[in-house]
Amino acid sequence: MKGTELVLRALRDRGVQYIFGYTGGAIMPVFDEMEKQPGFKFVMPRHEQGATFMAQGLSRASLSTETPQVGVCMATSGPGAMNLVTGVADAHMDSIPIVAITGQVATGVIATDAFQESDVVGVMMPICKQTYMPLTAEEIEKTIHEAFYVATTGRCGPVVIDIPKDIQFAETGKNYAFDPKKFRPKLPGFYYHPTPQRDVVHKAVEMLNRSERPVMFCGHGVIASNAGALLQEFAEKSNIPVAFTLHGLSAMPLDHPLSLGMMGMHGTVEANRAVMNADLILSFGMRFDDRVTGKLNEYAANADVIHVEIDPSELDKNVATTVAINADVYRTLHVMLSDPELIHKPRRRWLKEIDDNRKETAGVEEEIARGVGDGGQLLMKTIVRRLSEITEGRDIIVPDVGQHQMMAARFYNYQTNNSWFASGGAGTMGCSLPMAIGAKLARPDERVWSISGDGGFQMNIQELGTIMEQGTDVKIMILNNGYLGMVRQWQTLFFDGRYAGTPMQSPDFGLIASAYGIPYQKVTELDQVDAAIKSAIEHDGAYILEFICDPSEVILPMIPAGGGFGDMIVSRPKA
Amino acid sequence: MTPKKMKRRGILAFVQNKPGTLNKISSMIRRKMYNVDTLTVCKAKAPGVSRMTITLREDDEAKVTQIIRQLEKFTEVIRAKELDRDQSYWREVAIVKFELEDKEYAKLKKKYQLEILDSQPHDIHIVQIAGPTERIDMFLDDVGVDHFIEIARTGVTAMDK
Repeated sequence: MKGTELVLRALRDRGVQYIFGYTGGAIMPVFDEMEKQPGFKFVMPRHEQGATFMAQGLSRASLSTETPQVGVCMATSGPGAMNLVTGVADAHMDSIPIVAITGQVATGVIATDAFQESDVVGVMMPICKQTYMPLTAEEIEKTIHEAFYVATTGRCGPVVIDIPKDIQFAETGKNYAFDPKKFRPKLPGFYYHPTPQRDVVHKAVEMLNRSERPVMFCGHGVIASNAGALLQEFAEKSNIPVAFTLHGLSAMPLDHPLSLGMMGMHGTVEANRAVMNADLILSFGMRFDDRVTGKLNEYAANADVIHVEIDPSELDKNVATTVAINADVYRTLHVMLSDPELIHKPRRRWLKEIDDNRKETAGVEEEIARGVGDGGQLLMKTIVRRLSEITEGRDIIVPDVGQHQMMAARFYNYQTNNSWFASGGAGTMGCSLPMAIGAKLARPDERVWSISGDGGFQMNIQELGTIMEQGTDVKIMILNNGYLGMVRQWQTLFFDGRYAGTPMQSPDFGLIASAYGIPYQKVTELDQVDAAIKSAIEHDGAYILEFICDPSEVILPMIPAGGGFGDMIVSRPKA
Repeated sequence: MTPKKMKRRGILAFVQNKPGTLNKISSMIRRKMYNVDTLTVCKAKAPGVSRMTITLREDDEAKVTQIIRQLEKFTEVIRAKELDRDQSYWREVAIVKFELEDKEYAKLKKKYQLEILDSQPHDIHIVQIAGPTERIDMFLDDVGVDHFIEIARTGVTAMDK
């Protein structure tokens, strides 16, 4: 069989339905084979970076469905492959399984600076989970199956397969045989231990029972192992409040009485104070990154830390643990829940303290109710809150990166499991539009909102072309404040209001929408907000809503970068 | 003030003998902002497996643990561990070319076990010396910086007791 046939056979055997790909000289043979063998749903992005985020959206959103899928993106050699770099690095930071297949120049000319040649393996190696370059037709199927295994096993991540053009054309020997059902990757160095040790888990339960001021952290690992319902059950059974990382959001309803909301740099007062004053932290599937911890030597100074994490290299990396449990979150919660000694402790003083802190954040409610800034322009907070109320917190939210992302994290009342897909670790502006396309393909029966600022929206604006071509029903919100809002906020707070490189002029988004045949509404007044959101919902198909927002709006509380939880800015400094 | 020299650490890793493995490991160490002191690779007993000995400078135990865990995270790394200096042998080989008068040279030959590779006119000698790093350093001190012409050192390889 020919190399290209084997590529497609392996993808089919792995249950791949969608291929997000952009063709070119070195990947043409695979595309040609796709034309001969129908069966894949092919989606053409308008830029290769779009393909990576569509693949991410598909992987992220399908994770909690009955048929989880791995997003596959394809690009040609050289510039095509290099345009995948940001999206692959982003998937690596956020532990998202995707498989990127790139064409490479023929083996005979590799390393001669051939036309459209880049050292893809060399570039990708430090920013993905694994790289491959098959050098015979016989290696192709084995490589692809191994790649899917590596991408989806343990802590997930992106895998890159670079296939030279002559290998795509190469034929296998006559006796070539491959049985995907019997295939087991030979990876003696691949460490994967999902099952926790019972005695260690029991020790953790004893610590929880003793603790008077415990707090639980819900990280991405809870979503990735589909453990949201178990976490909620455990929180209720043990009566321990839950704080969320950015990626932990939507694992359980955000308005649950034990929920503290998001923690960290833009976390709620109640979450951050709980972390600061806790005597015990029980953290599930997260990595204590700097946006969560702030200044490390002041972080959770009085707390013992129990850390449950599938990746052993994350244990004790930033925060020293008292008990480290290297295991899958779902399985660990399962063992914890079945521990007969786990008790429900009232902890009245602790929960009262937390409720008192909630009142401080509640000051923001007055702002939301007012709905406009001093200049009469709309507040992002209010728009997100209106969306949340109209959709009852049940829709899928795909934010871009920046101020509006934090607004969407804080003020949408997430009710549906796994309904929030953000670029967290890498913080890639422009991710929202393509990621929303992938999410919609994974969950066609649910409503998907892409929420961007005017900056991020223009970073992958070309994917409106994909939406037009595919007829993807993505509801798009542009929260346009004429600035790169998050940087502007930092400039307001820490750079004496010098707005360097943040003001930006945008095109007429209405004209752009009509060029792509997408209905559009511009919203400037508070009393238009609800009706606009409703008309986007009622329309069958993509819809663009542009909201003209107040550039001086800030997202608070905020812990300054490098600061400790004691440095939290809760209310806006007086001008 | 010169910075205090940090403790030398030895890391032993058994890795799959595949292209790119060395690149991956050295990139990770670079990313953690270490400068590798020495790195040696050879075939291990098991087929397809290489044995890698890395030495670098670090005082903080937790950071060394972090490096080992990151190494073990690589699919190609079968096992990695830190070598306890008191429980393992660390050795290297050096080939040294130097110019030294007969009297001095005779002293060195007596003090060190040298394998003489070549003796050329004008008091030029090429010798091989093997042993712990400190011993080779001492030999080079004895030869004297003004006298040696060229040095080739293998870097450390090590084995547990």
